[in-house]
Amino acid sequence: MRLPFRKVFTRETMVNLLFVLPSLVLVGYFVYVLIGWNVVVSLTDWKGLAPSYNIVGFGQYVTLFQDPEFLTSLTNNLILILLFVPSSLALGLFLAILLDSKVRGEGVFRNIYLLPFSLSYVITATLWLWMYNPKEGVINTLLRTIGLGFLQPGWTTDPNIALACVVLAIVWQFSGYTMLIFSAGIKSIPESQVMAAEVDGATGLNLYRRVVVPQLKTPALSAFVVLMIFALKVFDFIYVLTGGGPAGYATYVVPLLMFRNTFRMDKYANGAAMATLLFLLALVIVVPYLYLSSRREKD
Amino acid sequence: MASITIKNLTKKYGKTVAVKDLNLQIEDKEFFVFLGPSGCGKTTTLFAIAGLIKIDSGEIWIGDELVTSAEQGIHKPPHEREISMVFQDYAIYPHMTVFNNIAFPLQIRNTDKHEIEGSVKKTAELLGISQLLDRKPRQLSGGQRQRVALGRAIVRRPKVFLMDEPLANLDAKLRCQTRTELKKLQLELKVTTIYVTHDQVEAMTMADRIMVQKDGVTEQIGTPDELYNHPSNLFVAGFIGSPEMNFMDCTLFEEKKELYLDAKEFRIFLPAKMPSELRSYIGAELIMGIRPEDIYENICAEGTVQENAIRMTIDLIEPVGPYLLLHLKAGRIPLVATVKDTKAKASQEVVMAMDLGKIHIFSKETTKAII
Amino acid sequence: MFLLPLWTDITTTFKSLNDLINTIPVQPPLSPTIEPMITAFNIMERPLLNSLTFTVAATIFSCLLGSINGYALTKIRFRGSNIMFLLFSIGIFLPYQAVLVPLVLTISRLGLYNSLGGLILAHTTYGITITTLLFRNFYGLIPDSLIMAAKTDGAGTWTIYRRIILPLSLLPFVVAAVLQFTSIWNDFLFGVTLARGLEAMPASVALANLKGTTEFNWNVQMAGALWYALPILLIYLGLGKYLIRGYMAGAIKG
Repeated sequence: MRLPFRKVFTRETMVNLLFVLPSLVLVGYFVYVLIGWNVVVSLTDWKGLAPSYNIVGFGQYVTLFQDPEFLTSLTNNLILILLFVPSSLALGLFLAILLDSKVRGEGVFRNIYLLPFSLSYVITATLWLWMYNPKEGVINTLLRTIGLGFLQPGWTTDPNIALACVVLAIVWQFSGYTMLIFSAGIKSIPESQVMAAEVDGATGLNLYRRVVVPQLKTPALSAFVVLMIFALKVFDFIYVLTGGGPAGYATYVVPLLMFRNTFRMDKYANGAAMATLLFLLALVIVVPYLYLSSRREKD
Repeated sequence: MASITIKNLTKKYGKTVAVKDLNLQIEDKEFFVFLGPSGCGKTTTLFAIAGLIKIDSGEIWIGDELVTSAEQGIHKPPHEREISMVFQDYAIYPHMTVFNNIAFPLQIRNTDKHEIEGSVKKTAELLGISQLLDRKPRQLSGGQRQRVALGRAIVRRPKVFLMDEPLANLDAKLRCQTRTELKKLQLELKVTTIYVTHDQVEAMTMADRIMVQKDGVTEQIGTPDELYNHPSNLFVAGFIGSPEMNFMDCTLFEEKKELYLDAKEFRIFLPAKMPSELRSYIGAELIMGIRPEDIYENICAEGTVQENAIRMTIDLIEPVGPYLLLHLKAGRIPLVATVKDTKAKASQEVVMAMDLGKIHIFSKETTKAII
Repeated sequence: MFLLPLWTDITTTFKSLNDLINTIPVQPPLSPTIEPMITAFNIMERPLLNSLTFTVAATIFSCLLGSINGYALTKIRFRGSNIMFLLFSIGIFLPYQAVLVPLVLTISRLGLYNSLGGLILAHTTYGITITTLLFRNFYGLIPDSLIMAAKTDGAGTWTIYRRIILPLSLLPFVVAAVLQFTSIWNDFLFGVTLARGLEAMPASVALANLKGTTEFNWNVQMAGALWYALPILLIYLGLGKYLIRGYMAGAIKG
């Protein structure tokens, strides 16, 4: 329903515009203008408290890729993604299938598994901080109790496994979410298909392997996107749990580095460059996904 | 040998009785239809035979084998019963190609690959979908999907086909076509088939025998002819046949050794040869039934008084192509008649007569007395 | 077993200092005390209040605006609607680092740095992206014929919104509100960058700072965590199913 240009400014249209104007302005500014602004900053040499807008081109980006701190952070981010995303998806799928095969108490278990996801990352990090405590934390205490006291790893104080510890804690938090998504996907399969499979002879594992799981591609994809984006921008969690990690940089990730450089060391342009990179990475993941799902909506 | 025997089958869902004490014997190679309105228990019975649901009491035999027994705790899983099923929404797997959908039951049983290929191709050819084997379900029309579902059911050469309203989701024209094809298919494959539907036309055209159910209770079992011409109760009489049979309240009286039915607005004198049990209903409240096609215009020589001719007024004439539907009123009693043609017009009076050989009489408590 | 961390939190909170030393974390306290709770509360009182204030405010605003946007996107045909929705959708996934610096600058230039208003503004704006999605999905299910009937009866855009759409919106409002409350309450990044002092510090930041100050008093730390988690736990228990619907909104598109 396209109005001819002449009629565009009728009273109705004005009212319509008025409706969305505040949101458009707010979002438009706070998202897009600010992104642009950030990009501009990343192209300057702003260091220190007073803003400076001398454009120096891509210098900041070059510096970044020569900065060992940044490279470590970037690597950590990637390791995080590689560890976190698949295990979260797998665990979620496992839980969803488990939940689907039990008939009783499904609602209760579902709520239990989802609880961590609704908690703030700060809380979860704090809890796990306590759990990981080498001297008094739960895990080591339990290990001692069952006689494996000699193990007692340093967990987050051990640079080698600190990152893995972080991943474990995040997987704990997110498993409920992926389970929920997969659960919804499983439920959307019509009962008649399950019955048909029963008649055909596909029961138990076969049923899931050949009939249910292949149909979970869509939920898997959207969970994947959400998880990826989170892994890219994870900040709260690490800030609280390790503050960057033992031995300096064991668990540093790009968002954390960006925060430190910008707000603690006043290296604004530097931070902006990192932020822009993060944004671009996010775009690479999100835009194809949005495009795919809007096309699917048309079906 | 794939006959089906059901003894005393009862299934409850909480307090509701879905199927009540069903006893049924289906012969090998028979095309048997479960007919009835929604919620009458036909689908429940079908699922019980398939083994998809457990029953509360009774036994089910497929061939010589006892596959379900509530009392003995026997319940053979569906895939071991040598049955296959076609669902109302087809239930084909959207993520598999047509080929794999049809092949699925064979793949699960680890059948040899070459054998699978051969069987699937033959089945596809039989159903006319050979060219669709590489497609995915979402690329198919409703009718094509239905054939895929059929293919999956046929490919295993089971002992029994179970079909749950397979034509319900097709448009009217396709439905007619497919109906014929299904019947021909069954004759060719010679497999015992149980077909569930709420559409009495489908039942009448396709079935060897029909079981009519209502609220979990079996109303009548018989051939289409038996159900149509000799309905054993009011429900079956009214359910089968379109347009519906006409029903009128009446009372049986005797006058001078002749029995007649008094419907207040008119009287029908019954022919002499009536079963003697009828006499015991004299004075009782009855319901008379007559099908629309058995009411005809009484055109006879002027002046002759036909005893059973009734004066009626035409309310409405509906042309239905091959015949006319006359909506009549005999006093306050509405009647519907189908006639080939008439010279009368709406609001006019006509004289109608009934084919006395086709009258049905029911006791008001849904039993039936004669014809 | 899954809930181990939470159980530990609860047990630790109620332990006195002695208990801490003498018992293992999984054990319930030998002599339960609410002292840690009180200590924690004293430290966190103002931040908790702050959090409550700006979370509620931002939730209300973002839900209202989201509702209006959802209505506009689905029921008012205007040329830019698809683009607008796309732009908003990207906003959902935005890593906030990408706008952090300019955001701080903007907020301070508006004089809202280290104030509740600044936090409200930021949270409302970024919240609009997801609330719009929620409302759009919901309103898309309202039959257009309803709107057309109202139009032929002479109703204008605002009237239709007020008298038809709004009354039908109870469910999405609850879902959006619960989702937003949880997200905003749980936020840390904005809190730590836009607030310096106690005037506007959210509870999340206060909790993180606890760790720095009271080094060995784990029971206070756990108590603080419990206080902070309390509203969310309450919401989860009571309105959990709506929250779950909110989570699914991103996945179930259309």
